Amino acid sequence: MILVEHLGKSFHDARRGWVEAVRDVSFECRPGEIFGLLGPNGAGKTTTLRTLSTVLKPTEGRAVVAGYDVVEHPEEVRRRIGFMSAGTGIYDRMTAWELVEYFGRLYGIPKDALRDRMEAVFAWLRMDDFRDVLGSKMSTGMKQKVSIARTVVHDPPVLIFDEPTSGLDILVQRTVLDKILELRDMGKTVVFSTHSMSEVERLCSRVAVIYRGRLQAQGPIDELLAAHGQPNVEELFFALVEKADAEYEAAGAGAGAAS
Amino acid sequence: MSWSNVLLIFRREGMDQLRDRRTLFMVVVFPILLYPIIGAGVLQFAAALQEKPRRVVVVGAERLPKAPALLAPEGEGFNPSLFDESAEAARLTVERRADAGEWANPAFREEAVRDGDASAVMVIPADLPEQFAARADVAIPIHYRSVDETSKITYLRLREALDRWKAGIVEERRKGDKLPEGYARPIEVRGLDAATTQEIGGSVWGRIFPFLLVLMSLTGAFYPAVDLCAGEKERGTMETLLISPAGRAEIVVGKFLAVLAASVTTAVLNLVSMGVTGLQLARRATAMGGGDPAREAAAALAPPTLQSALWMVVLLIPLAAFFSAICLAVAAMARSMKEGQYYMTPLYLVCLPLIFLTMAPGIELNAFYSLVPVTGVALLLRALIVGVYLTAFRFFVPVLLPTVVYAWLALRWAVDQFSDENVLFRESERFSLVPWIRGVIRDRGPRPTSAQAVLGFALIITASWLFAQVLLTTGLGGIGVVAAGQGVILLVPLVMAFLLTTDPAGTLRLRGAAGRYFAIGAAAAVAVKPLSAEFERLVQWAYPISDATRSVFESLLKGDTPLPLAILVFALVPAVCEEVAFRGFILSGLQSGRRTRSAIVLSALLFGLLHVFLSLFQQFFNAAILGVLIGLLAVRSRSLWPGVVFHAVNNGLAVATGAWIGLLQRAGIAGWVYRDAEDGLYHVPWVVAGAVVVAALVLHLWKFDRRDVGEAG
Repeated sequence: MILVEHLGKSFHDARRGWVEAVRDVSFECRPGEIFGLLGPNGAGKTTTLRTLSTVLKPTEGRAVVAGYDVVEHPEEVRRRIGFMSAGTGIYDRMTAWELVEYFGRLYGIPKDALRDRMEAVFAWLRMDDFRDVLGSKMSTGMKQKVSIARTVVHDPPVLIFDEPTSGLDILVQRTVLDKILELRDMGKTVVFSTHSMSEVERLCSRVAVIYRGRLQAQGPIDELLAAHGQPNVEELFFALVEKADAEYEAAGAGAGAAS
Repeated sequence: MSWSNVLLIFRREGMDQLRDRRTLFMVVVFPILLYPIIGAGVLQFAAALQEKPRRVVVVGAERLPKAPALLAPEGEGFNPSLFDESAEAARLTVERRADAGEWANPAFREEAVRDGDASAVMVIPADLPEQFAARADVAIPIHYRSVDETSKITYLRLREALDRWKAGIVEERRKGDKLPEGYARPIEVRGLDAATTQEIGGSVWGRIFPFLLVLMSLTGAFYPAVDLCAGEKERGTMETLLISPAGRAEIVVGKFLAVLAASVTTAVLNLVSMGVTGLQLARRATAMGGGDPAREAAAALAPPTLQSALWMVVLLIPLAAFFSAICLAVAAMARSMKEGQYYMTPLYLVCLPLIFLTMAPGIELNAFYSLVPVTGVALLLRALIVGVYLTAFRFFVPVLLPTVVYAWLALRWAVDQFSDENVLFRESERFSLVPWIRGVIRDRGPRPTSAQAVLGFALIITASWLFAQVLLTTGLGGIGVVAAGQGVILLVPLVMAFLLTTDPAGTLRLRGAAGRYFAIGAAAAVAVKPLSAEFERLVQWAYPISDATRSVFESLLKGDTPLPLAILVFALVPAVCEEVAFRGFILSGLQSGRRTRSAIVLSALLFGLLHVFLSLFQQFFNAAILGVLIGLLAVRSRSLWPGVVFHAVNNGLAVATGAWIGLLQRAGIAGWVYRDAEDGLYHVPWVVAGAVVVAALVLHLWKFDRRDVGEAG
């Protein structure tokens, strides 16, 4: 459902010239599976996921989401994904119902079907008691639920969550994670990025550790632990980071000597 | 584009604005409250205005004759009959001083005026009675201070009073000499004002109204635009919208319509509020007192008629559309509301001079102003308000059409902005000039960017302008200077291409081309001539060239310059220099990240603008159209040179027209070619044949001469 091959993305920066935010990233994610993208801030998680959601164009490689190439058919991709991140906010001056309805309409769902779908989604997320509350009056938990409702209103086969729990209290975190698990059980293809080891352990069947814009390792968690001889994800993560740092410094020193 | 999505987004954004208190205040409440408050304020200020007493010291008043009386016989004032109104006389208080002691000293009198002790000091000379008796003339010095408003007005009033007094004296003398009544006053001027009440009213409104209206439609567009772009980014909803299936163009058009609605609403509410306040003020002014001045005041404040108000609304919509699109494109760059506000100042700084023209006296709507963005609309609004309907209707379409075009271009720019991930996901970075320049040169690509192309154009214009200023101060002139001016046009793109691209030769399209392209270039230049002659005549009919300008240009062309030299300087040199700049650097830059068609049209518009700035504004049209032709030729041949041939032949034909027609006339066949040899107008069949050939060549280039993508790489 999601196929990423040698994906690279460079940005131009006035100071440093072309900077590679992501380089040679490849992974695959199938329906009924949660693929975890684990990495610290600035590792390239958001850039990767934004490329999958078509708002950024890759400078290298390709990505196919729900059967469509993100560069060639961005509209078709956008129709088939739900995207949610800590940054995707909700409108202050719209009620929960209005906001979800608005996006449902943008996805082209006919009015009656949309109403039925929204009733189902609002019931699933237990949002009926704040249907008519304006975004500005909502608690963080309510906002997060509205975001999830917005993400799934068109029943997309592919869901992309970019650090959906960052900055949330533990109760809301738990709700969000529970809902993501339920979505997996519905057979959705889910990509999930985080910097939290425990979330990865709880949710993901397969994980990729991303650091300095490159995938350092990927595979089912137990296989990765075994391959690297680490007792848990946290130890695995730090081992990979140290290895990457060492390689980077060696490469930097090599480049320095060469020039 | 899915219009249901556009409508959906428009409705949401509109509702969002209606639920926002700040926007509601700026768009609706502010204009409704502003004008009544200003109106009430003006009335209160007028009532509270206490004029400084105008104190006139009359030195040697005792020397004045009894009749006719200059001063009132009793009290401290002038003879009221010397003024239009007795109130006017009452405002001047007279202080009589003997011409002795310190008042006899001119330095002291001047000091008194300077210190403000007296608004004016009038000196009645000692020999006045004798001179009067002898019927000789006599000087009456008045000290005043022109920079002090009160003193200056006092002086003017005194002069009026003295003039009437003088007339009285002359009248006395006439009676004494028993001369006929018209003797001393052979003529009497009676001014008859042809202006109607509406026009008098309009001239006051006409200055303020367009200014406020244009400003308000800009303000009305700016705040919502910032909220809908920067605000959305700040709240994190922009990304949500971008990942919905709605396309960028749909998002922009939806937002644009919402901003446009806000802008038009603001402007119309301003119009209504201003009008109602004006009416109210006018009524108050009439009620306050009878007499002419009050009626004049009422007329001055009478609002524009309903009819002109309607036309104004029609005109406002494209202007508001232009502002809305510009504001959206600018606001798209901002990361936060706060940053958005920063962009307001430069936007206003650019717009204000364009609107200020309506406040300046003596500036009338003409063909040129009608093409200037904002100014054309502002001046047309003024014409409508003042009631100069003839001008207004003549220029309605010439103003409306370019404004619609500008609005469309601005909207395209906004869509471009929204499609640019660098604009939407801009990270803040520290800016410092030197590393930035170093970075631009280090990371240069094979072709310049669009921004660099536009910068190149701006540099060409400014460098040429500076060059012209230097020439003016040094007084140099002549044909060599014309060539040197072309050198400036060449220098800028050359330097930029070498500095900013890794492939300057490719950027400037310096490689050769297949022979057929040269043939097409030359043929098209010859074939287009009869057409462009017709077109030029049309342009000159619409936008007449002043005789002074024409004579300057004719002297340049028709001097004693030998023909080969004229062809070199006016045809070959410009062909090379302008082609390197416009079809080389600028077109290459504009082609990056844009459809070829748009790039050609944009480069042609810039080429037209070059002629507006450096030569005659009337040449804009022909240059822009020929620019499209040469642009197409350059893109298809992937070489500059066929365009150079076209350009050189085109200019060469213009330079050599006189000689050529003379030749034909001597051969006796000029009549076969030209229906009007003097103006270079061809017979209709030639024009038609030329048009057919040009159309065929363009069609060939555009449709059948495409290269495959693989080959173009």
